[in-house]
Amino acid sequence: MYMYLPIALASVNYLVVVGLGLAVGLLSGLFGVGGGFLMTPLLMMIGIPPTIAAATDANQIVAASASGTFSHWRLGNVDFKMGLFLLIGGFAGGAFGVQIIKILRATGGADFMIKMTYVVMLGLVGSFMFVESLNALQKSKKASESDAPAKPKAAKKAGGFFAALPMQTYFEKSGVTHSALVPIVLGTFVGILAAIMGVGGGFLMVPVMIYMLRMPMHVVVGTSLFQILFTCVEVTYLQAYSNHTVDFVLALLLLVGSVFGAQIGTVLGRKLHGDQLKILLSIIVLAVTVKIVLELVMEPSILLSYAGGH
Amino acid sequence: MLTLKRTFIFSLRCLVLCGAAFFGFITLPASAEQPLTCAVTPGNIPITFTYHGAQLTVTGQSAIGDDLVVTISTEPEDALLKYKAKVGGLVWMKKGDLEFKGVPAIYLLHSTAELTRILGEAERNQHQLGYDALRQRVVIEDSQGNPAEGKWFDEYLKFKNKEMVYDIKEGAVTRQHGEEGNTYRASIAWPYQAPPGIYTVRVFAVRDGRVVAKAADQFEVKRVGITAALSKMAFEHAAWYGIMAVVIALFAGLAVGAIFKKGGGSH
Repeated sequence: MYMYLPIALASVNYLVVVGLGLAVGLLSGLFGVGGGFLMTPLLMMIGIPPTIAAATDANQIVAASASGTFSHWRLGNVDFKMGLFLLIGGFAGGAFGVQIIKILRATGGADFMIKMTYVVMLGLVGSFMFVESLNALQKSKKASESDAPAKPKAAKKAGGFFAALPMQTYFEKSGVTHSALVPIVLGTFVGILAAIMGVGGGFLMVPVMIYMLRMPMHVVVGTSLFQILFTCVEVTYLQAYSNHTVDFVLALLLLVGSVFGAQIGTVLGRKLHGDQLKILLSIIVLAVTVKIVLELVMEPSILLSYAGGH
Repeated sequence: MLTLKRTFIFSLRCLVLCGAAFFGFITLPASAEQPLTCAVTPGNIPITFTYHGAQLTVTGQSAIGDDLVVTISTEPEDALLKYKAKVGGLVWMKKGDLEFKGVPAIYLLHSTAELTRILGEAERNQHQLGYDALRQRVVIEDSQGNPAEGKWFDEYLKFKNKEMVYDIKEGAVTRQHGEEGNTYRASIAWPYQAPPGIYTVRVFAVRDGRVVAKAADQFEVKRVGITAALSKMAFEHAAWYGIMAVVIALFAGLAVGAIFKKGGGSH
């Protein structure tokens, strides 16, 4: 039942870990998020040191997102062109974000900033998605009740400022036209925040693609997974190489669960409506926000921890 | 000539040993009846793939009526820990570092009876027996070198207890009078949280509030097999380790993706 993790120096029940992988992999396939914002705290709860939890999770997401990207690609749900532009921005933003963290660490008070950024971003994204998708669900219900034929969707073209930018490109898979600068800049922004918060940024990237790039939900999921795959390959390698914080045994246990979870999630996702997916994701994001706020406000039972975590 | 010299050295050694034994007899007259012995099994604990700590058995002989204290403790060292405190009157955050100077990383103690009942305070402090003795020695400072409040040692104990690397079980050592004379036995749960290394088990015989005899044995906790290979690779061939981790994860993800597509045509 127990397996010893050579880097984390912890002994864990492997059924629990595989189960965690399955659950988070399912979310990954459903929503196109890496699930780091859920997995890292869960791993810490079963006794894995924080730095190792975060690095190992990136390794596990490589498997889950490869599995998810593959099946979404077969379904025609990956917009490679958009993904590439987001990726360019994401890499630049990530590098910039790491520098910001260094400056923050030097001045002190980095932890406070990080936690607050986390709570505010999760809270904002969660609430916005929840309200928006609730409205959309009610509208579609009304529409079906009145039996009116579904209105043809408004041409997916962002107006005003976005349209005035140079390098206008048509993204066939998503059926939208944007300046190539838009995904690059948005990718940079998400990359910076993700680096500061120490997460992959899927839960930020997904809303950005839905609401700012106006991509259809199913393409959003596939494209997000594609983008996450590359980010996590980079993070895994760098963490293993410079910090020795990737526990391969733990990653294997997690990925056994998560690759299957991702498949189940993909299949399940096709049976759900886009707005239903959004509302589910927003509920999960809000629940995580509440949990973090509670942890911040309530007195912890143990006031000491080993140095090295963040 | 050579043999003569050897005999001479040998007899010299005997003399020294006899002398040591004699003086030992003088300082610890209580061990007259039966010498205190100590043996720990297993002597080797391999950290295998399925390691979840181990069960140690400490046995030996002792004089009739002596109380016994068995400890597994590492040398005192300085531990740097982060502490949480309320920031801005609202949220609990890691606020800074505290240095705990002169505390063992691991401290397990089993005894035949309550320590405060069988040992005087001075003896407990001298032999570092019990948490109060540790508290006597520890110096706690913040990162500016200012002494910290005493409550932080209680927090330290809480932290270490939760990690399972600090534990005191009074009354857990059993004594028996049988064919082999007076024997004692302690069954100690060795936590998986303790890192690999060589550890010393010490046993103290106690009479009339004083330690009258000591004995010790050692055991080794060592990574073996895959566990040892992986941890060696992670630190000594970090680049390859990283590449392996990425490639295997990629392959596993793609393979399962492919299998699912083939197997589940109806989806």
